[in-house]
Amino acid sequence: MTKQAIEVRDLSFSYGNTSILEEVNVSFPEGKFSVVLGRNGSGKSTLFNILSGMATYRQGSVKLMGRERKELSFADCAPLMGFLPQFHKSVFPFQVRDVVLTGRAAFSSFSPKKADLEKVEQAIEELEITHLLNRPYTELSGGEQQLVMIARVLVQNPSIILLDEPTNHLDVYYQTFVLEKLRKLSQDKFTVIAIMHDPNLAFLYADHCFFMKNKTVVKTNLSNHDSELLHYVYNVQFTAVQVKDKTIVVPTL
Amino acid sequence: MRKALIAFVIYGLPIPLLLYSLTVGPSQEVGLADFWDWGKAVWSGTQESNTRLNMINNIIENIRLPRVLLTFIIGAGLASSGGALQGIFRNPLVDPYVLGISSGSAFGAALAIAFPLININISAFVLGVVSVILTYSFAFSDKKASLVAVILSGMIVSGIFTALLTIVQYISDPYKLQAIVQWTMGNLHHASWDKINSAALPIAVGVGGMYLLRWRLNLLALGDQEARAVGVNPNRDKIILVVLATLTTSSSVAAAGIISLYGLFVPHLTRMMVGPDNRKAMPANILFGGSFLVIIDNFSRSLMEFEIPIGIFTMLLGAPFFIFLMKKNKINWV
Repeated sequence: MTKQAIEVRDLSFSYGNTSILEEVNVSFPEGKFSVVLGRNGSGKSTLFNILSGMATYRQGSVKLMGRERKELSFADCAPLMGFLPQFHKSVFPFQVRDVVLTGRAAFSSFSPKKADLEKVEQAIEELEITHLLNRPYTELSGGEQQLVMIARVLVQNPSIILLDEPTNHLDVYYQTFVLEKLRKLSQDKFTVIAIMHDPNLAFLYADHCFFMKNKTVVKTNLSNHDSELLHYVYNVQFTAVQVKDKTIVVPTL
Repeated sequence: MRKALIAFVIYGLPIPLLLYSLTVGPSQEVGLADFWDWGKAVWSGTQESNTRLNMINNIIENIRLPRVLLTFIIGAGLASSGGALQGIFRNPLVDPYVLGISSGSAFGAALAIAFPLININISAFVLGVVSVILTYSFAFSDKKASLVAVILSGMIVSGIFTALLTIVQYISDPYKLQAIVQWTMGNLHHASWDKINSAALPIAVGVGGMYLLRWRLNLLALGDQEARAVGVNPNRDKIILVVLATLTTSSSVAAAGIISLYGLFVPHLTRMMVGPDNRKAMPANILFGGSFLVIIDNFSRSLMEFEIPIGIFTMLLGAPFFIFLMKKNKINWV
């Protein structure tokens, strides 16, 4: 059996009296590209906030590489997990190089070392954005900014990379480019977990898909995302089509 | 070429400027020629050998030198505090004055002048901290604050402390009142070695700390979530930096009163020179911030027959700059 990068057991969470997550049980396998799907308000973002440490949970357990999430300090977490938040806009026109370099801040306190700068070069090459290195971040297109933020998480070199809707607002070129890169990262050594809205893109690129509905992760036979399950999750009738070995769904007209 | 010029303005300018500034002042007696004579005399150890040299020596050593040094220290302190606060608040329109720190510190210092029970530096620092906490808590709801909310909160906090300061003035006796009023206008002509002695250490600690944390500032400027995302707790760095900036500001306010908006526009000038990366911008703020206030002060004491208080001068320079930035940043009022 494959090792689990993240194991969530009986996790419940609420803001005041409003329950957001109820009895979530889910495991994300190590070294794979997993995608979390579900309707707006199904609890995806809250689950990610808990996984990434932005929100603290009281009930249940969350284990990162076998260690309880809430017992980890920021410093403990830095090598384990990197997070790509949904919105990021910079007020100051920092150069791309400087933005990416801040990904090393957890490891070098006062000023970046030479090794840090080399990691920046590597990450930038890996994502094929070397030409952007000296450009101001604020002047880039949405797709370019997203790649810069992914590079920033890469220089942190965490075992697990969480991405909250990495393909939102991107055109088809950047959607496929980003997803291709994420798939490649998961094949290298990273565990990649992303929230996405388009089930077809998820089916095409991800190793595993997880569905959320009614404040919890739907129990499912992971390889089987048929139109009945999708109907249950999205409340939309789908027609499934086979393309090579992948399933594609379209809303039934 | 442009790079070399910028490097000179930042790193090469301070020393010659400080030396030149010793020859500037309302006293017509001590100009460049006298300065030259004095320099030769100091070199040979004869600066007190005759009445003329003795007078020149006195003016330079006890009036101009402390003034120029204090001005440089305060300029460096305010500019680096402004740069740090703009990064922490992610807001190019803030500085110690906009955030109400200056007014809070001024009230604290005025209290200490009127009722000399506590040390003026400590009193200014404590109220500076109180004011920045107030501004922060007024502006932020649900961990977010718009650019405008921060500025409005700072304005309110500033207003509260200016009102309290007026009460202190109202109940002070005339002799103290004059001292308080002159000093709140931002005044460097009372510069003395005593003031340098009490301001230099806290400002050095504040500026030194901000210099050390200059790279962290880049991370903070990207946002809280962006910091947490890469495994850094932004709150600790923020608190340390705000305390350092407040310490620096309150000490400079205690020494020279409110020098309005100086911390706002200098970081913009240095960003134009070296870019937004605080690893370069912070040393530029410190050195150019010091030099530029010395230049402004040279004008303020030589432009007219009487001396224009430097706080008035920086306000007149800073206000149009603030409006320009507001237009440029396309602030919307929602």
